[in-house]
Amino acid sequence: MARAWPRGTGARAYSAARSGSRSRAHSMAENREPRGVVEAELDPVEYTLRKRLPHRLPRRPNDIYVNMKTDFKAQLARCQKLLDGGTRGQNACTEIYIHGLGLAINRAINIALQLQAGSFGSLQVAANTSTVELVDELEPETDTREPLTRIRNNSAIHIRVFRVTPK
Amino acid sequence: MSNAKERKHAKKMRNQPTNVTLSSGFVADRGVKHRNRGGKPFQAQRQEPHYGTSRQRQTKMTPHSLLEPDVNEPSSSKVMFKKKGGWKAGPEGTSQEIPKYITASTFAQARAAEISAMLKAVTQKSSNSLVFQTLPRHMRRRAMSHNVKRLPRRLQEIAQKEAEKAVHQKKEHSKNKCHKARRCHINRMLEFNRRQKKNIWLETHIWHAKRFHMVKKWGYCLGERPTAKSHRACYRAMTQHCLLQDLSYYCCLELKGREEEILKALSQMCSIDTGLTFAAVHCLSGKRQGSVMLYRANKYPREMLGPVTFIWKSEMIPGDTSESRQLWIWLHPAVKQDILEEIKAVCQCTEPIKSTVCIPELLTSSQEKNHTELPDEKIGKKRKRKGDGENTKPIKKVVGDGTRDPCQPYSWISPATGIIISDLTMEMNRFRLIGPLSHSILTEALKVASVHTGGEDAEKTPHRWWIETCENPGSISLHRRQEAVFELLGGITSPAEIPAGTILGLTVGDPRVNLPQKKSKALSNPEKCQDNEKVRQLLLEGVPVECTHSFIWNQDICKSVTENKISDQDLNRKRSELLVPGSQLVLGPHESKIPILLIQQPGKMTGEDQLGWGSGWDVLLPKGWGMAFWIPFIYRGARVGGLKEAAVHSQYKRSPNIPGDFPDCPAGILFAEEQAKTLLEKYKRRPPAKRPNYVKLGTVAPFCCPWEHLTQDWESRVQAQEESSAASSPNGEETDLRRHMVPCVPTPEKTHQLSNEVGTSVNDPREPEEVMDTDCQDQAGTKMVMYPDAGENHVAAANSQLFVLRSRKLLKQLSAWCGPCSEESRAARRAPGRGQQELTREACLSIMDHFPRALVWVSLSLLRKGSPEPHTMICVPAKEDLLQLSQDQHYCGPQEAKHSDLFKRKILKQKEKKKLEKRQNRGCATSEGLGAGDPATGQEALTLGLWSGPLPRVTSHCSRVLLGFVTQGDFSMAVGHGEALGFVSLTGLLDMLSSQPPAQRGLVLLRPPASVQYRFSRVAIEV
Repeated sequence: MARAWPRGTGARAYSAARSGSRSRAHSMAENREPRGVVEAELDPVEYTLRKRLPHRLPRRPNDIYVNMKTDFKAQLARCQKLLDGGTRGQNACTEIYIHGLGLAINRAINIALQLQAGSFGSLQVAANTSTVELVDELEPETDTREPLTRIRNNSAIHIRVFRVTPK
Repeated sequence: MSNAKERKHAKKMRNQPTNVTLSSGFVADRGVKHRNRGGKPFQAQRQEPHYGTSRQRQTKMTPHSLLEPDVNEPSSSKVMFKKKGGWKAGPEGTSQEIPKYITASTFAQARAAEISAMLKAVTQKSSNSLVFQTLPRHMRRRAMSHNVKRLPRRLQEIAQKEAEKAVHQKKEHSKNKCHKARRCHINRMLEFNRRQKKNIWLETHIWHAKRFHMVKKWGYCLGERPTAKSHRACYRAMTQHCLLQDLSYYCCLELKGREEEILKALSQMCSIDTGLTFAAVHCLSGKRQGSVMLYRANKYPREMLGPVTFIWKSEMIPGDTSESRQLWIWLHPAVKQDILEEIKAVCQCTEPIKSTVCIPELLTSSQEKNHTELPDEKIGKKRKRKGDGENTKPIKKVVGDGTRDPCQPYSWISPATGIIISDLTMEMNRFRLIGPLSHSILTEALKVASVHTGGEDAEKTPHRWWIETCENPGSISLHRRQEAVFELLGGITSPAEIPAGTILGLTVGDPRVNLPQKKSKALSNPEKCQDNEKVRQLLLEGVPVECTHSFIWNQDICKSVTENKISDQDLNRKRSELLVPGSQLVLGPHESKIPILLIQQPGKMTGEDQLGWGSGWDVLLPKGWGMAFWIPFIYRGARVGGLKEAAVHSQYKRSPNIPGDFPDCPAGILFAEEQAKTLLEKYKRRPPAKRPNYVKLGTVAPFCCPWEHLTQDWESRVQAQEESSAASSPNGEETDLRRHMVPCVPTPEKTHQLSNEVGTSVNDPREPEEVMDTDCQDQAGTKMVMYPDAGENHVAAANSQLFVLRSRKLLKQLSAWCGPCSEESRAARRAPGRGQQELTREACLSIMDHFPRALVWVSLSLLRKGSPEPHTMICVPAKEDLLQLSQDQHYCGPQEAKHSDLFKRKILKQKEKKKLEKRQNRGCATSEGLGAGDPATGQEALTLGLWSGPLPRVTSHCSRVLLGFVTQGDFSMAVGHGEALGFVSLTGLLDMLSSQPPAQRGLVLLRPPASVQYRFSRVAIEV
């Protein structure tokens, strides 16, 4: 499992993740492009950088987007609750998907592993990685310039945590 | 004898005959006492031989039992009498000789007057309560209040009289209008039309009035907040579902003319310093909505008028500048009058257009018709009622502005520039959808109009414009493209993913036709969410320019669409005539086609967290169609919010609320005054013991924010500081600075500088440019640039009035300074912001020099506990507070010591004086009293707990120096702790920042007006 995550744009994402230590309210933490690239082409006097929300698919009830703002324990408990269901185990999910973007990849993995460790072998995990396109908007500071948008890639992880019947 | 008792006594004695006195309680007491005193020696005489113990028992017995039997009769009757009425006969009774016998007839005769008085007193009630209220509680019955016969027989007569009186007092019902008649449609319509003469009703008024607390504001009747308890539900709707608001009260001004002329005129009213202007490329093409701050012509940065948003109509043939362009400016009604006047002045549009001029004729005629028709119809209706049986037109509902005076012009033309300004207030509806589900609600509620395919009944249908459009293949393809873009929207989960201010034009079918049977909730459809190239294109580029075209820009078409709307009644009848009940209604070519415009509203754009929060779409509709769109939106699961929800939205977005958060524009000042008045009234309604004593709490201005005092105080404060510091350590650079400051240091000079204002105001427009230039030049930062005419500029700035700093460059710099900076992050920050200076004394001084009386919009987030409220004070923490905070992480903050109430004694004195006068008045003749009372009332009435008279130095009134005030503040559900927005003095902020240690830079204290507790919070300036 742990092998999976450095794939994709791992090295770049990691260096950027350090700078993106601030918390974000939307459900995924994103990180930044190394600054040199942006700066080479843009003058901060002429443009202001505005980041847009990542494109999101509609959420199923068993999707969990991990972020860096909410307390780790709370997110773990939320996943556990989904897997366990109600008091008598009604509407328990047999599988949940944990998504993490950028800086939150680490935490998503951590949650999945914690869930597995606490399940006495009844839970299994399967991870997928992907690259998410993020849109940065460059707002002009002068009237004569058009606003620009640029696409930046960031890596994401999607972990499927599912129940297996112990043999 | 107290006053109240005396009065009570007097009231009781009102109905008594003069020879009989009915004693009240205290007189009776006295009488009893006297009697006892009289009785004591008598007792003592008789009981001397008894033992002490028995004597005590004896005293408990009434003395009368010891009397001789022969005198028993008269005395006992006398005693009984005494007991019953408490007649004032005590002292005489015992001291006089007790008579041996009495004659019944003479005795009764003598008492006749008393008895008759008593009977009179019993029958005539002296209190002003109803009979029912005089009954003891256990005898009351529910039905007694309306049925007299339920009362005890003896009271029925009185109650009958009372009931008759009450009927007389009640307002007489109009005889010709019984309840049923009043509910009749025509009469109701008349009544509604009458009621919206004074304050404009929105089209959704009736719907709102049933569900909302309505307020009359800015000439409109608006829903303030839902009557249901829904604060949190509305917040949830904004964040996760969809909140709907009726913003039709926003005013629209239309400018028509050549592009250069319009831009030239309007460029005087705005500055590139505050952000993009009307000339921004993407707005000018008609692709995006823009927003701009308007100032009085050439007065930037002073004399702010208000914020507006604007959209240009996209040009059909790009690059053709000779073509007449159309610009819509949307603004808040509170700022409308000022801005309209100013725009008229700037465009030199002085000539009001009569309805004879061809272009706006359609507009005026439609307007005037609405008005001229009304009285006619009223007359006609009366005739009909008389039974003439004349065929009259039905009463028409007021559509659009009901208060507009038909004689007053609302469009103006300029002979010089050819610009036509028209006031399109209430000509369109504007609905705002906020929240991620707004896409799915829009795509479900609105169906793109079907293209008309060569019908044989083309002549009959009223929708000629649509048939004509459909004949043109170019416009059909455009329509198809718009439809495609609109369908794509359904697959995007949040409006924040789309470029800010995107505009999409559309022509849709009648949304009432496919109204669902039941209210349901539209959810985003996962099948639509394909991650294909088209969606990507839309997200990156936004809507293509051609697709922003909409027929709503055309007044002709709008008018015809409004007039040819099928009424709800007809639609429902057709629906009921369907063969299969509940099946889809097909109107075919008779279905209305409505041109609409969708405008994306960006949510939170600034700052670092909560990006895109509160984004949504605005829908513009032609007038008359409001309810036809409103109900379908609600049936798809939108929750409706009022003005309060709008305020919450802007607060969580951390954007200033119009007009409350614009203290430098006339509307903002007016708003603050009104707010102060209502708050004061509310405060005065409480008893003094049950309201905070603001003088003791050290709150000088609990109901308003004295910005003028604040900035003046800070200006003189910093100047005094500079003088002392310069005197102690005359540094090279600093003295150099001071030289330029000297001319304005003495405050008395300011007054006579005011006379220079006319001359210096010419310099004003030049000033911001120069500031910008310096910022560009000294990118290295620490170097100061002094222009040769700095002194002159300074004079111009010094005698200015208050204004709010909105220059983006300066704000960016300030926001960089505000954050705490450790060594590492400072290095990181320096890299991107090459143009940014270090926070040094000199840099601060240069800014202070240019903007001595500026305010800065800041957002504050509390570190720990506390939820701030409006008018909360923002204060500078003292050194020991910061020290204590760094030692103890859980330190809440210091407390303000109790102040002494200087006014309490004055108030007491005044009260005593009044009382004295009153007492004198009662003694003297009333005419004299009136004359004496006047001076007391002429003096301003002091209110206990409020500061009266001129304000003291507001900054240094409390133990912590005051920096500014909060204008919006509450517990923020978006971030989970208290948050506030407000203004601080720029001078004060810079002074504070430069003196704070870098690690704790940007920490301030907040103190609500009714509390002594200061709480720590962090300042941020978001650009």
